[in-house]
Amino acid sequence: MAFEITLPRLGWDMVEGSLADWLKKDGEFVKAGELLFTVEGDKAIQEIEALDSGYLKTLPDGPQKGEKVPVGTLLGYLVPEEELAEFHFPGPALEPVPVQAVAQPAGLPLETPAPVPVDGHKKRVYISPYARRLAQGLGVDWQGIHGSGKGGRIMALDVEQAALMKQKTTVPVAVPMPSPSVSTISAIQPTAAQAAQYAAERHAITPLRKKIAEHMAYSAHTSAPVTLTTEVDATELVALRKALKEDSAITGQPAPSYNDLLAKLSCLALLEHPLINARIEGEEVVQMGTVNIAVAVDTERGLIVPVLKDVQTKTLRQLARESAVLIERTRSGSITYEELQGATFTITNLGMFEIDAFTPIIDLPQCAILGVGRIAPKQVVVDVETEKVAIRQCMMLSLTFDHRLVDGAQAARFLQRVKRFIERPYLWMAG
Amino acid sequence: MRELTFTDAAREGLAEEMARDDMIFVVGEGIGARGGNFNTTVGLYDLYGEKRLRDTPISERGFTGLCTGAAVLGARPVIDFMFLDFELDALGEIINQMSRLRWMSNGQVKVPIVLRGGVGLASTGPHHSANLFSIFMHLPGLHVVTPVFPADAKGLLKTSIRTDDPVIFLEHKKLMKLKGPVPDGEHLVPFGQASVVRQGKDLTIVGISFTVIEALNAANLLEKEGISAEVIDPRTLAPLDLATILESVSKTHRLLVVDEDFSPCGAGAEIAAQVMEQGFYELDAPVRRLNGAFVPGPYSPPLEAAVIPSAQSIAKAAQALMVE
Repeated sequence: MAFEITLPRLGWDMVEGSLADWLKKDGEFVKAGELLFTVEGDKAIQEIEALDSGYLKTLPDGPQKGEKVPVGTLLGYLVPEEELAEFHFPGPALEPVPVQAVAQPAGLPLETPAPVPVDGHKKRVYISPYARRLAQGLGVDWQGIHGSGKGGRIMALDVEQAALMKQKTTVPVAVPMPSPSVSTISAIQPTAAQAAQYAAERHAITPLRKKIAEHMAYSAHTSAPVTLTTEVDATELVALRKALKEDSAITGQPAPSYNDLLAKLSCLALLEHPLINARIEGEEVVQMGTVNIAVAVDTERGLIVPVLKDVQTKTLRQLARESAVLIERTRSGSITYEELQGATFTITNLGMFEIDAFTPIIDLPQCAILGVGRIAPKQVVVDVETEKVAIRQCMMLSLTFDHRLVDGAQAARFLQRVKRFIERPYLWMAG
Repeated sequence: MRELTFTDAAREGLAEEMARDDMIFVVGEGIGARGGNFNTTVGLYDLYGEKRLRDTPISERGFTGLCTGAAVLGARPVIDFMFLDFELDALGEIINQMSRLRWMSNGQVKVPIVLRGGVGLASTGPHHSANLFSIFMHLPGLHVVTPVFPADAKGLLKTSIRTDDPVIFLEHKKLMKLKGPVPDGEHLVPFGQASVVRQGKDLTIVGISFTVIEALNAANLLEKEGISAEVIDPRTLAPLDLATILESVSKTHRLLVVDEDFSPCGAGAEIAAQVMEQGFYELDAPVRRLNGAFVPGPYSPPLEAAVIPSAQSIAKAAQALMVE
């Protein structure tokens, strides 16, 4: 029996994804446990192991690389050696293929895949009757719409959104059409080549970009964000980080980054202010039992936020080791779906881009997000009486919180606590 | 407006009609001096006596046949079967004679009869809980009337008595004590006019008989979830006012039909099919039905609660339909 290869579910709420790439060649023998293909879910790319052994037969009319398909979509088969000679892709239009006179010796892998009869069966796009008529009225080509209904069925809402998108994209882009038939006018119009040169570039929105867009817009429309900013004297924190770095050089262990330090001290402040480590679920406010801190990481593919779990139970060294691994896997795209879930608070650091303060957007359902600015030396009055001025390492913190959950004073007290921990690290070094 | 119970309102309608037309008489078991098992004729025996309120032996087929003959000859009988279940003993007369005579005589004879019967599960066990709406909807020549509110009980009974064809008038036993405003005097509710008993915009719930009340309760639950349900009471199943249902569906694009009666070939199946035929392009999701379980009505109250649609189960079905 040939084993079916289908698009797996990477996270509990994943409904569709795309085949990123095959890691084995069509016709190649694959042993159970070997890496077979990669799948791109909403955020992560994951390598998938073969569950059975056999010769890989990729579906000739299967999903294209990068094409979004529902979980469970058939991608190909693993065919056991003894069945290889007789294997053909099942399909309704398929006539039994007469065995050719010169059959391949059984057991030999086929060097070039034999021409496979393709059944002309196209994947059906489902659309509700009302949505279909709506699309007709609005002049929307619904075949390409992504359906939000059960099993990907296109609903009226999807058509309305597609019509809106169409309006938005067709109105502003006014590239003059070259009109070769009217020669007098074409002289003053840009040539086709010129038009192409100035034309807007269009790319399909990536699954990750789309997910970020939906999530950020949802947050912006749902939460009641307020941003508090404060300047912090980070001289002691800089000194601490320097000491940890020097120590790491001796012990050979990874040095905690500023983000690790901030995660650890934010965690302590969160334990003191559990309302910030909370979320709204229906009619309830839920104070989370653990502190999971997401650290925003910029990658080529977009923003990804791996999560440091149960920060309160971990030492700085453990956090440093963990975050180094997470960030590496994030950048390489091999992070798993689960590692991106479950944050109760987020830290986003734009210091490396010389940003001082900004207004981050809350990653719902979390209550707050801490924006970290650059650390830069500044001249600061340290004693007004004696008019004493000193050079200190200063840093801006921007805390965006959801006013639905907490009030300004509560959030301010939390931020004040973070500030204090940064200015006097020995307070939290004690634990 | 004054408030009456469903039964009192229907009886007022019957009394007004009997006073207006002395060709109207009532037959049934215990409807004379006793005033009817469900108080449908209380007080009328004192006014009109045995001639117009005739107690019968337990012989449904016999007295139904007699009434059919009387109707053909110009009387307007009201047969009070107590429970719809007992009409089954007279189905031969009802289907073969009563419903067909007008057609067979090329319209020369009329058969104005009202057949009353209590329907629904109300701790009444397998023999006294039938709904069976679709058996009668299935037959040409019969009207099927299912009032829910007291004013409709009065208005529809008066219209039924004045109709020149047989009318199956079905009163849910859980509605009999329901109170509501009832207009004084002449109040007629025409057949084939559904009533939108609650406005909404997200989905349409058509209730049948008592389930209209549960659908209204469900709509209140759904409102808390941010779902706005429109509730429709068809009032008469034959003729069925599909136009009102279609108009609602073209606003909400989703339809749930709730019926305590069994699902196969039921009233909900008929409504779903007609909406599919005439309103297909208004549907943004499949039509859904919620019915009583496909079992004879149990007597045990916990079992009964488990087999009939409730506000909770309706709300759940509506929620499921919203995420279709």
